[in-house]
Amino acid sequence: MRKFLAIVVCKLGRFVGKLVGKGSSMPGKFALKICPDILRRVQLPPHIIAVTGSNGKTSTVEMIATVLRGQGKNVIYNAEGSNQVEGVTTLILTHATLGGKVNADVLLLESDERYAAHSFKYFHPTEFVITNLYRDQLTRNGHPESVFDAILPAIHPDTELILNGDDPLSSCFAIGHEKVKWFGLNHCATDTETSTGVYHDGAYCPVCHAPMEYEYVHYNHIGAYRCTSCGHARPDPDYAATELDLQNGKLILDGQFTVALAFRSIYNVYNILAAYAACRECGVEGAAIADTLSSYILKNGRMQTFTLGQHHGILLTSKHENSIAYDTNLRYIASTNEDCTVLIIVDAVSRKYFTSETSWLWDIDFDQLNVPHVKRVILSGMYRNDLAERFRFTGVQNWEVIPGIPDAAAAIRDSGSEALYVVTCFSDRDKLLNLPDVKKEG
Amino acid sequence: MELKILHFYPDLMSLYGSYANVSILKRTLEEMGNTVTVERVELGGDADLTHADFVYMGAGTERAQKAALLYFSKLGDAVKAAADAGVTMLFAGNSMELLGKTITDDAGKVYEGLGLADFTAVQNKKRFVEDVYGHTDLYEDAVVGFVNRCSVITGVETPLLASMDMGHGNEGPCGPEGYHKGSVFASQLTGPILVKNPALLKVMVQAIYRHRGETCPEIPVDQYMAEGWAITAEQLKARCTK
Repeated sequence: MRKFLAIVVCKLGRFVGKLVGKGSSMPGKFALKICPDILRRVQLPPHIIAVTGSNGKTSTVEMIATVLRGQGKNVIYNAEGSNQVEGVTTLILTHATLGGKVNADVLLLESDERYAAHSFKYFHPTEFVITNLYRDQLTRNGHPESVFDAILPAIHPDTELILNGDDPLSSCFAIGHEKVKWFGLNHCATDTETSTGVYHDGAYCPVCHAPMEYEYVHYNHIGAYRCTSCGHARPDPDYAATELDLQNGKLILDGQFTVALAFRSIYNVYNILAAYAACRECGVEGAAIADTLSSYILKNGRMQTFTLGQHHGILLTSKHENSIAYDTNLRYIASTNEDCTVLIIVDAVSRKYFTSETSWLWDIDFDQLNVPHVKRVILSGMYRNDLAERFRFTGVQNWEVIPGIPDAAAAIRDSGSEALYVVTCFSDRDKLLNLPDVKKEG
Repeated sequence: MELKILHFYPDLMSLYGSYANVSILKRTLEEMGNTVTVERVELGGDADLTHADFVYMGAGTERAQKAALLYFSKLGDAVKAAADAGVTMLFAGNSMELLGKTITDDAGKVYEGLGLADFTAVQNKKRFVEDVYGHTDLYEDAVVGFVNRCSVITGVETPLLASMDMGHGNEGPCGPEGYHKGSVFASQLTGPILVKNPALLKVMVQAIYRHRGETCPEIPVDQYMAEGWAITAEQLKARCTK
C-alpha cells in the first residue's frame, strides 16, 4: 500500500511540478518519506547504467542515451540533471506502473559523486561509469580523495565498473573489484612528457605515495602513469581511442571506428570514450556508436555562440571552482590560432550557494592564453581583483580589468571585429547573454 | 638581503592553490629589493632549516598529510631548533596539524606529530567547509578566507585568529582558529591566505626582517590585493549580519 501511495504521490507531484515549473526533486522526496525503501520495491529495467565523476557526467549520459535510443531501446534518464537520490526517485517512479514496474529497457542515471552511496542503497547499477576524479568544487567536495571515499560505498560487487584507465585516482576503484572494463586514450601527437597545468596531482601514487612516472601525459595528470614502488599503473584499455587528430577533428576508436568531432577538445574525446565503452557493454556495435556520435552536438548549453558588435563570440562555460574545466577551455582557445579577445567573468562563484572563495583561480593555467593570437584579455565581475592578482603571476601581458560586465561588453562592442571567447560559469553566463547588444545564435 | 624560502612538499601538499602564498611572499620581498631563492623540498628530501628565512607547507589530502608527516617528522628537531631561533614559518591548511602532539585519523589510528605545539588533532569523516570572516590580535583588518577541514584541534592556547564571526575554528564554529607562537604561524584557512589578506602578508615580511635584525621598510601591496580583500570582506561581513 505504501509503495502504491508513494508512486501515486510522486506521479501527481511531478505532474503538478511540471505545470508550475518546479524542479524534479520534490516528488521523489515526498515518495521517500512515504516509503523510504521504495527503490528496492520497484521492478527496474535489465540495464541500469550510472555515470558519476568530477567532469563530463551530463555529456556522457546524453551521448549514451542518444546511442541507445538510436538502437531502438527505451531509455529513461535524468535529463534535468537531478542527480541526487530524490531526483533519481522521481525519475524512476514517474516511469513506473502503479504496480511498480519501470517501463524501460535502460535506466540511465547521472549520479552526484558525493551522494551516489545514498542513491544506490536499495538497488545497484549493472554498469557504473566513473569518468574521472579531479579537483572540483573543493568548497563543497573537500578534495578528490574525499570524493573517492564517498563513491566507494556505492559500488556493489556485482556491478561492472567502466573506468578511465588514464586517471591514476579513479582507476583505484578497480582495486579488489573483479568486474572492470577500462577505457583510455592511447599515445597521441599532442601529448607531453610531463604534467601540464599549475599543480601535479599525478606526482605521487594515490595508493602508496611513492613518486610516479609518466610515459606520456594527455593533460594535467591524465596519461600513462606508473608508480615507481607499488606498480599502480595505467592498464591496457578494453576500449581505446587509438588515434586522435584534434586539429582536423578526427578520432578513431579501437583502430576501426572513426568519429568526426563536433567539438575539438580532448575533454570531449573522453566523454565519447566513456559513452562508447558503456554502449559497447550494452551490446551496441562499435560502428553504430561511431556513426551516432560523429558530429554529435551536445545539447547541454555549455557552448553558446552569439554576436556582439562586429565580433562573433563563443561562450565557453567553465564551471567555477573546477580548474580542469577552465584549463580545457583555455586550451581550446589557444588551439584556435585566430586573433581573438578573451573575456573572463567571475561574478558569482556559485549559482547554488554563496561563497567568496577564489583559491581555485590559482589552480587554473591561465598561461595558456600567453599566445600571439590572444590579442586582449578582459577580466570582469565581482572578483576581477582576485583574477587580476592571479594574472600578475602569468606571462600574459595584454590583460586589463573592466569591473562591470555591461561595461566590459560595451568596450568589446566598440572596437575591432576579432573572434571573442567568453570564459565563465553557469552562474554568470546570462549576465552577458542577456545584455541587449548580445545576439544569441542557434 | 639574500633570503631563502623553503617550500616543503610542493606537489604533495598543494591543494587550494597553496603555492600562491610562496609566490606572493617572494614577489613582495623582491619588490623590497631582496634576492629571494625558493628551495623546493620534495618528499624524503633533506633541508637546511638553520639558514632559512621562511619555512612553508600547504594543504593536502588526509592521506597525503600522513605521507608528509612521515618524512617531516624526521626533521622535527631541526624544525624546533629553527622555530626557537626565530625562523618565520607558515603552515597553511591541514599541514598545521603536523606541528601538534598527535593526529588521530577518522578510523581512530593515532600518528605522532612533531610536538612543536601542545595541541592534538582528531579527524572526522564529516568535513567543515565554510567561508571565514575572523579577527586576529595582530592587526585591525578582518581576516577573510575559507576553511575546508575535517579535524577538531584542542589544546591551542595561542591561536592565530582570536575569534570568528563566520567559519569553523579549531574546536568548533566561530571559535579561535589556528596557532601562533613567536615566529611560527599556522592556520587551517585554505589556499592563498597571504594573497587574500595583505595585512597577514605584512606580518610575515616583518617577521622575516625581525629575524634578520633588520628594520622593515614600507611593504608594497598592490591595488588588486587591497581591493580584492575589501570586496571579499564586505561580502562576508554582509553575510555575517544576516
